[in-house]
Amino acid sequence: MSGLNGLFGIGSNALATFQRALSVTGQNIANVSTPGYSRQEITLSESLPENGQPGQIGTGVTATEIRRSVDSFVERQLLSSNERVGQFGASQKALSQIQLVFNDANDQGIAAGLNEFFKAWQDVATNPADLTARTVLLTKADGLTKLLNQADAQLSAQRTSLDGQVQSSINDVNALASKIADLNSQIKLTEISGQHANDLRDQRGRFLNDLAGLVEISSIEDSTGQVTVFVGIGQVLVAEKTVYTLTGVANVANNGLLDVRYDGGTGPNTDITSAISGGRLKGLIDARDTTAAGLQTSLNTLTSQLVSQVNTQHRLGYGLDGSTTQDFFTASGTAAGTISLALTDRQKIAASSTAAGVPGNNVNALALSNLQTASVAGLGNTTFQGYYSAMAGSFGATLQGATRDLQGQEILHDQLLAHRAEVSGVSMDEELINLLKYQRAFEAASKLITTSDEMLQTILTLKR
Amino acid sequence: MRVADQQMYGILLGNLQRSRLQLLTSQEQISSQKRVTTPSDDPSAFGQIVLDKSALSQTTQWVRNINFGTSRVNAADQALGQVQNLITRVRELTIQAGSDTTSAEGRQSIAKEVRQLQRQLVQLGNTEVAGQAIFGGTKTDVQAFTISSGDTVVYQGNNETQSIAVGENQTVQILVPGSSIFTGATTNIFDSLRDLLTALESNDRVGIQAGLGGLDLATAQISDAQGTIGALANRLQVTHDALDTATLTITQSISDNQDADLATAITQLRLQEVAVQAASETFTKIFDSSLINYLR
Repeated sequence: MSGLNGLFGIGSNALATFQRALSVTGQNIANVSTPGYSRQEITLSESLPENGQPGQIGTGVTATEIRRSVDSFVERQLLSSNERVGQFGASQKALSQIQLVFNDANDQGIAAGLNEFFKAWQDVATNPADLTARTVLLTKADGLTKLLNQADAQLSAQRTSLDGQVQSSINDVNALASKIADLNSQIKLTEISGQHANDLRDQRGRFLNDLAGLVEISSIEDSTGQVTVFVGIGQVLVAEKTVYTLTGVANVANNGLLDVRYDGGTGPNTDITSAISGGRLKGLIDARDTTAAGLQTSLNTLTSQLVSQVNTQHRLGYGLDGSTTQDFFTASGTAAGTISLALTDRQKIAASSTAAGVPGNNVNALALSNLQTASVAGLGNTTFQGYYSAMAGSFGATLQGATRDLQGQEILHDQLLAHRAEVSGVSMDEELINLLKYQRAFEAASKLITTSDEMLQTILTLKR
Repeated sequence: MRVADQQMYGILLGNLQRSRLQLLTSQEQISSQKRVTTPSDDPSAFGQIVLDKSALSQTTQWVRNINFGTSRVNAADQALGQVQNLITRVRELTIQAGSDTTSAEGRQSIAKEVRQLQRQLVQLGNTEVAGQAIFGGTKTDVQAFTISSGDTVVYQGNNETQSIAVGENQTVQILVPGSSIFTGATTNIFDSLRDLLTALESNDRVGIQAGLGGLDLATAQISDAQGTIGALANRLQVTHDALDTATLTITQSISDNQDADLATAITQLRLQEVAVQAASETFTKIFDSSLINYLR
């Protein structure tokens, strides 16, 4: 092969190789903003030399492989960062929605409702014979019950909406799992023939990251390039090309909201709800079952104490018409969602401590309005307002914490992305230089061919 | 170290978004002039605002109670002032009737005037505010005093008093039952007048002079009641003043916790505007410095 033919060979090899190199550069430039794309590199090396005189002589250039630049350590960190971003993002968003229950800044909230209620009682205490004050009291009391009803309904609606998001996240998990399984078999097929499945691996990496954003996963790669993905406490979600599924199953004990169950092939019978420790699902489930449910419980405690304290005192007194042992609030409605007014007749408001005929007696109304500042044992020895204030404060701290967690994690995530870009990202300047470099090399290789051709021509003319 | 395009744009975008978020927060604070509108803005401040607002609603209510109480107490005070004048007039007439020179006919005509005054006294005892008797104890729906037979006056009310809340566990009485003013403790003024009338009409000079003693006791008893009511009015006023101060303090505390400090917020806004501007400018600069602009 030495001689002029050899030179032709070197030239055409070089042409083909630089064309390939230009294709790789083109691929990189084209994917400069594709998320999850890893920069590809062509590895050039000399072809096997030939023996000759005075020594071995080169046979040109060859492209040995096209590799992607990946730092698997950064990729792992990104995966777990995705889990946290997913979790904190979901909680922060959910809690911000829930926070709408506390519209006390505009004096429209439960705190204001309680104030108005007790003020109305004082007006009755000050002027017990005045029917207008009594009417106002009934209106304000009704307003307070409506506020509590509304808050409870709002929280229930939030929980239902979060539940819908749990279901759609489960669907997304299953869809991603089957995509990963598909890619597993494609990667295996590609790599078994010694190729690098660069783009397929990029795709799978992107799906794994998406999956981690939804639920905490762990994964290992086997020797054939396929990954096994685990969720919950070691439940296999993807094994080679096999996919197992998560299912949302209504839990009657939790108001029919969904539990996350794992189906290992024998039906959805493993409850992994509490084992989920990261990702969007974790954030959603926490907001649904811990924060929103906790607020409902607190509101119920507040309501049941309000109902029992007010009723107990009210039953001791007498109305203008002499009625006594009357409930002010409906005795059975002790939850925020069920509290309602039992009294409809303003004459029956028990302001007096003695039977009929003394409309100016306000002893019981005074005792009732004193409940505003009374420490209630059932509320941990605080006042109604104190309890509400602590409840709002602790919720605020939770949301503030979630927001800070999210902001911190986002910054960390950005840094990890920057790290990833440092290794795997496309630098336009670099690619442009490569483009020039390979273009020049391509031009030189063609020159090689024309030169060989001219030399051949020279030899051919010798014969004439 | 390689620098990929994603890095530059990614970091810039992240910074730009964060700066914009802070800018938005500052803008919200400035436009609403409130620093805390939701629990998560500042959990402990929010809790304190809830408590302060509750305290504020209490103090305004107490002031409202006091205003109501003051109107009742003032009405009682005025009525008692007139009662005192009436009794003084009766006393003058009684002295005149007790004189040796006054004839039986003269005593008869004095009796007529005294009876008139007695009827006025009953009316004063029945003073009402907004349709409610103020000297009938807590039986506010009936007339406190009625004239039964002859000149006998019967108390229809009870001995209960009414107190209103003027502070935490603090109450002030705003009602003094007629039983302790007119028919009460030391002397029954109406009985004294009835006896006086009988004495005048029966030309009983000894009885008339005995009536004078009863009138002196009556004056003392009304003065006593005036003192009590004056003290109540005073307590209401003092409490009112204290509540005004408390209201100011609480309002200040709410404002401290809730309101945005405009000077700080505006300074912050300026800083953040600069940050956003810088980030935006960097964006164009990076684009300018790309190699692509130099390859032709």
